[in-house]
Amino acid sequence: MATATETSILEAQPRTAGNKNDARRVRQSGKVPGVLYGAGMQALSVSLDPRQISRILRSESGYNTIFDLTLDGGERTKAMIVDWQYEPIKGSLLHVDLKRIAMDQRLHVNVPIVLKGEAAGVKQQGGILEHVAREVEIECLPADIPAFIEADVSELVFGKVMRVADLPRSEKLKFLSDPNLPVAHIISVKEEVAPTPEAAAAEAAAPAEPEVIKKGKQEAEEEGAEPAPEKPEKAEKKEKK
Amino acid sequence: MLMPKKVKYRKQQRGRMCGKAWRGSELAFGDYGLKVVEPGWITDRQIEASRVAMTRFVKRGGKIWLRVFPDKPVTKKPAETRMGKGKGAPDHWVAVVRPGKILFEMEGVTPQDASEAMRLASHKLPLRTAFVKRESAAH
Repeated sequence: MATATETSILEAQPRTAGNKNDARRVRQSGKVPGVLYGAGMQALSVSLDPRQISRILRSESGYNTIFDLTLDGGERTKAMIVDWQYEPIKGSLLHVDLKRIAMDQRLHVNVPIVLKGEAAGVKQQGGILEHVAREVEIECLPADIPAFIEADVSELVFGKVMRVADLPRSEKLKFLSDPNLPVAHIISVKEEVAPTPEAAAAEAAAPAEPEVIKKGKQEAEEEGAEPAPEKPEKAEKKEKK
Repeated sequence: MLMPKKVKYRKQQRGRMCGKAWRGSELAFGDYGLKVVEPGWITDRQIEASRVAMTRFVKRGGKIWLRVFPDKPVTKKPAETRMGKGKGAPDHWVAVVRPGKILFEMEGVTPQDASEAMRLASHKLPLRTAFVKRESAAH
């Protein structure tokens, strides 16, 4: 397990916190708006280089990388990315949350789970390996954050579930996720069969419209006196015109 | 075909499709997905045709998730009917999708097979789509 501390430097420029138009202007200038907080200090709005952020997010240690942050080339502080937003279509970065890190305090982070090996259930039994939980929450010191947690699935067969409790443990890490949370299991998928004429007929016979949920008032009216006929009166009025 | 089991009202107005899909725009279950890049309606038949195309291609090799559900009723008047006399009868169901929405996800297949299956599925849809895949944690 490689640790997530790297000696990269991220440069940030302070900006005046404003509304979404200000954030849009920051993006048009080729930067990404962000916010820096944590370590008991006041939150600060910053603008960042999107290429530097993408490089950190795509690095070996991923989003748990701890880096040196410099504000306008001044003093360096240890920080990490805690949240980020992508634009849904183009996938460009929209906003980044940075947190100041005290290297002597334990913190809670989500670490990705990487499955290792070919499962016996896939190789011998012809199943499909489903990766259910892709991250696990842990508590540790910043210097001990692993880049990922490897889980060996080579002995996974049908009916057996790998859970958080089965992940490799370390004295430095404390798992916070539910120990019964499934990480991976083997599933079987039925092959698509062409519908038989009987099945097609049954589908045609099925109700075309779903059930309409009745309101409470209507039910009360049905129980009591019948409602006055409105539609015939309207029809009479139209005829008079 | 897919449709809700219960509804509050039989008929709906058409509504607007402005904006982007801020929800459901990232892969949640599988390693590969099909993302729609323009807004529109996808009917129950189109969703089913896409699902069948993908399932038949991957055979027993992969698991497929549908991330859209047709929950909007579309009405239609009978043929050769004069205008007026009220709204038509419910005809079919559609899912309203905005650009960025992930329609299908897949796992347990090679990237090439996933790409080909999604290409076949996209040919059943009336909208432009893009193939997306998850960035692996271990590089």
